[in-house]
Amino acid sequence: MKRYLLRRLALAIPTLFLVSVLVFALMRLMPGDVATRMVEGHAYAPTLAALRHDLGLDRPVHAQYLDWIGGIVTRGDFGRSYWTRQPILDEFMRRFPVTIELAFLTIVVSVVLGVLVGIVSAVRQDSVSDYVGRILAILALSVPYFGLAVLVVVLPSIWFKWTPVWSYVPFTTDPLENLKIMLVPAFVFGVTRAGPVMRIMRSALLDVLRQDYIRTAWSKGLAERPIILRHALKNAMIPVISLIGLQMPLYIGGSVIIESIFRLPGVGLFFFEALTRLDYPVVQSVNLIIAALVVGLNLLIDISYAFLDPRIRY
Amino acid sequence: MLVGKPLGTIGGVIVLVMLAAAVLADWIAPYGYAQTSLRSRFISMSTAHWLGTDELGRDLLTRLIYGARISLYVGFGAIAIGSVLATLIGIVSGYLGGRFDLLVQRGVDAWMAFPPLLLLLSIMSLLGPSVWNITIVLGVAFGIQNSRVVRGVALLVKEHTFVESARALGAGHVRTTLTHILPNVMPTIIVVATTGLSTVILTEASLSFLGLGVPPPYPTWGGMLSLAGLDHMYRAPWLAIWPAVALSLAVFGFNMLGDALRDLLDPRLKGG
Repeated sequence: MKRYLLRRLALAIPTLFLVSVLVFALMRLMPGDVATRMVEGHAYAPTLAALRHDLGLDRPVHAQYLDWIGGIVTRGDFGRSYWTRQPILDEFMRRFPVTIELAFLTIVVSVVLGVLVGIVSAVRQDSVSDYVGRILAILALSVPYFGLAVLVVVLPSIWFKWTPVWSYVPFTTDPLENLKIMLVPAFVFGVTRAGPVMRIMRSALLDVLRQDYIRTAWSKGLAERPIILRHALKNAMIPVISLIGLQMPLYIGGSVIIESIFRLPGVGLFFFEALTRLDYPVVQSVNLIIAALVVGLNLLIDISYAFLDPRIRY
Repeated sequence: MLVGKPLGTIGGVIVLVMLAAAVLADWIAPYGYAQTSLRSRFISMSTAHWLGTDELGRDLLTRLIYGARISLYVGFGAIAIGSVLATLIGIVSGYLGGRFDLLVQRGVDAWMAFPPLLLLLSIMSLLGPSVWNITIVLGVAFGIQNSRVVRGVALLVKEHTFVESARALGAGHVRTTLTHILPNVMPTIIVVATTGLSTVILTEASLSFLGLGVPPPYPTWGGMLSLAGLDHMYRAPWLAIWPAVALSLAVFGFNMLGDALRDLLDPRLKGG
């Protein structure tokens, strides 16, 4: 076990190194010049050369990379934005709770909906409610979440003269007001992600319900409710949980769009605004932090499997 | 197929309609896709404009029909590039194995550590929006991601005795991979490509939605929904409704067709 842990950790380090090289190279090799835009459009400096020197863009590429990665590794310094000159990590940490809250609520919505519909579908297999559930799941898979988000923002304001609240309130200042703001985006995003959850839940539960220990539970006279909720669901939830883990990057990627539509001041909006201004340090550092989080999360999931399931041996 | 897979058939019909709209756009579209008319802005459904017009007086139905063309063009283009790339990386990495495989797979790991949308957005913001750029970028992303699946199958096929016999008979590496491994990997590639189409079309739409996909004046469904045009939609909600409906139908169609094809071609990949 300990050896497995160490080996997994050792494998994560080259991956993270490659991730940093990849994102840095992308930012430098591609056409598109932030300095020209800053000087010509916004007069950030008298001349292009002066600004390039100021931002360190006139130095060799490998030196720039070493500066960036060196700062991260030795001082935890992820650099500063070109435009605002503010430290990136501070801004990231300020906004991260919003994105995490959105992801958390989205997962709650999609799991609650997906699991409930999945259970009904599996238990009443091939009945009308099963077909309705399966059709709902396919619909949820087909509707693009940004399309649904736009409709949810636009239509109620036309039909009922009601607009979702725009000004964000942090959870710590006013939890209720905060939830009122976050629930609509989380619901929109969660509904579209409930489709795959429902399908996995249904097929996993159908599998489990055919197993011997469930037959034993039936034959000893247990009622349907405890059999499904206490005996079957526990095992059937495992694939659902791994699906959520696998989809984590999707939730974070989707936050760029959801946060832009609902004007939530999270990491997604931070990233998108930096993109439109070609703010390389922000784009590359946010990419790196999130990729590192994804790598760490996958590691945690793998390790937790090894702990939870005694059959897994390494 | 028609009887056994009703949803697959519906999906196939939707895809066919979309294909027809894309191919025949020049003949069936009532107006030009960039034909503006300031006198007929924001008209709702009418006999002259079945689905209404947008903020520049462009006919929405026309733009939806041409939008099918762009979606399919980008979708098929990206899938074609991506399938070739996935096959190449997957087979070479799986067949050669050893240190080369380890290195390539760590690269794929690194790529997959990013949420796809973040990476694609970063690349597109630097390259600049264009039909060609987004097709290549989506293709490369699709190729790298799915090379894993191809590699997995190649690893399995490689162990069969017929590959060993071919080698024993003196076939070179190139001949072995082309005539013995590739044909056995082919069904998987076809399945991955068909099920990937809806994802690629949806990704193109989300990039265009944020203004980093296909640039105006080309009509795309994602671009028509766009974040930038949100203000107009309060005045003309049909501008949001129809592109969203078209996109959902397309994704539904390709999903169902892909699922049916997968069950027919490669039962091993059958999922929930």
